[in-house]
Amino acid sequence: MSNDEHNHDHDNHATTREDDDLELTEGEARFLALKGLLIEQGVMTADEIRARMEFNERGSPHQAARMIARAWIDPAYKERMLDDTKAAAAELGIEATEAALVTIENTPERHNMVVCTLCSCYPRSLLGEPPAFYVSKAYRSRAVREPRKVLREFGVEIPETVDIAVHDSNADLRYVIMPMRPAGTEGLSEDDLAALITRDSVVGCALPVEPA
Amino acid sequence: MTEKLITDIGGDSAGVVPQEGRDQLFWEKQMIATFNLLQVKGIVVTDEFRRTVEEMSAEYYADSTFYGRRLDGMVQLLIEKGVLDADGFDKRAEKILTAGTRDHV
Amino acid sequence: MALTSARKKFLLLEPVTMSDQIAAYRVGDRVRILDIGKPGHVRTPTYVRHKTGTIERFCGMFENPENKAYGRWGLPSIPLYRVQFRQHDIWPDYDGTPGDVLEIEIYDHWLALAEEEA
Repeated sequence: MSNDEHNHDHDNHATTREDDDLELTEGEARFLALKGLLIEQGVMTADEIRARMEFNERGSPHQAARMIARAWIDPAYKERMLDDTKAAAAELGIEATEAALVTIENTPERHNMVVCTLCSCYPRSLLGEPPAFYVSKAYRSRAVREPRKVLREFGVEIPETVDIAVHDSNADLRYVIMPMRPAGTEGLSEDDLAALITRDSVVGCALPVEPA
Repeated sequence: MTEKLITDIGGDSAGVVPQEGRDQLFWEKQMIATFNLLQVKGIVVTDEFRRTVEEMSAEYYADSTFYGRRLDGMVQLLIEKGVLDADGFDKRAEKILTAGTRDHV
Repeated sequence: MALTSARKKFLLLEPVTMSDQIAAYRVGDRVRILDIGKPGHVRTPTYVRHKTGTIERFCGMFENPENKAYGRWGLPSIPLYRVQFRQHDIWPDYDGTPGDVLEIEIYDHWLALAEEEA
């Protein structure tokens, strides 16, 4: 979509147009009613909503990828990330709003994957909003009971020589999986390594991209 | 044995995991931001929201989506807390839907 | 000298929990997940209740979601543990390796030391 409004002060206008080609749904109408009432009643302002949206946009898979790429290169950072993920995020200028973050490392003996069976708990500061599969009832139901079958649907075949650990993110901790660094990436820069680390690989439903 | 919450679906049989996704719509981003602000301001607690969803009917839950539950749970909880008037909210939503436009705030 | 656990609980230095167990599980302890029959909002899924696993780590003290869900105080905080299960111990018909495991966070009052059969 072309956007000739780069110089416009109110960037909200530009973003609002994203959906203007879509018909208003009942869900959106209900949200607009809620938003209007909350603003009129002085519970929050439109500016506050805008600012919070911008803050939320900072959470993206790139944040986790940056941390993991650094950990692949710097063993001391990796130790710190495994020991205190929130502090390790802060080192890279990432503000994590989660109460507690934990990093779990994949090894040649054990592959890890994350699910929240009760709702959709997810480390948004490091990965953004959860993907459709993560919030789906099918994933929430099946990941704990038949992880190998679920992974096969993602095109990931974990051999019988590797155990699988499923982590149900059911309470206060939020999980980041640190995938193993692919072979043949010795010469790559930190940025190039980060580009191999996908969102799904940090949830444990994919392996990092193989270098070209 | 305690009754099973409608959200307690770990281990249930279910179909293929959907691989297709779509980007968040603008209003969905706004809604999540609104929800976050209610949390930050101490008006809504995450566990209260979860409880509100758990109190919905099994039929509702079966057909509901992630963003739909977020919106309906938030509205329900705000009505329960007296922040929102149920009747006023319904009327306003109906009016916006009938008008079919987004210029309401 | 050291306070007794009962004294610590009285002084609210330690959480008062609903189980008779004192919050003192150590990594490696074998524990059973209780079904405490509590209606309403809880964070212990049914699929792990009555199952036996191993304490993997102590996660820290967290406010009680079972109270917070109803607008009540979450304090005093309660201990949260990470419990690891063999998948075969949860699902008798599990299709995977004997080493496949599941880990989940369980609050202290849902735990009891397991009485191991030899």
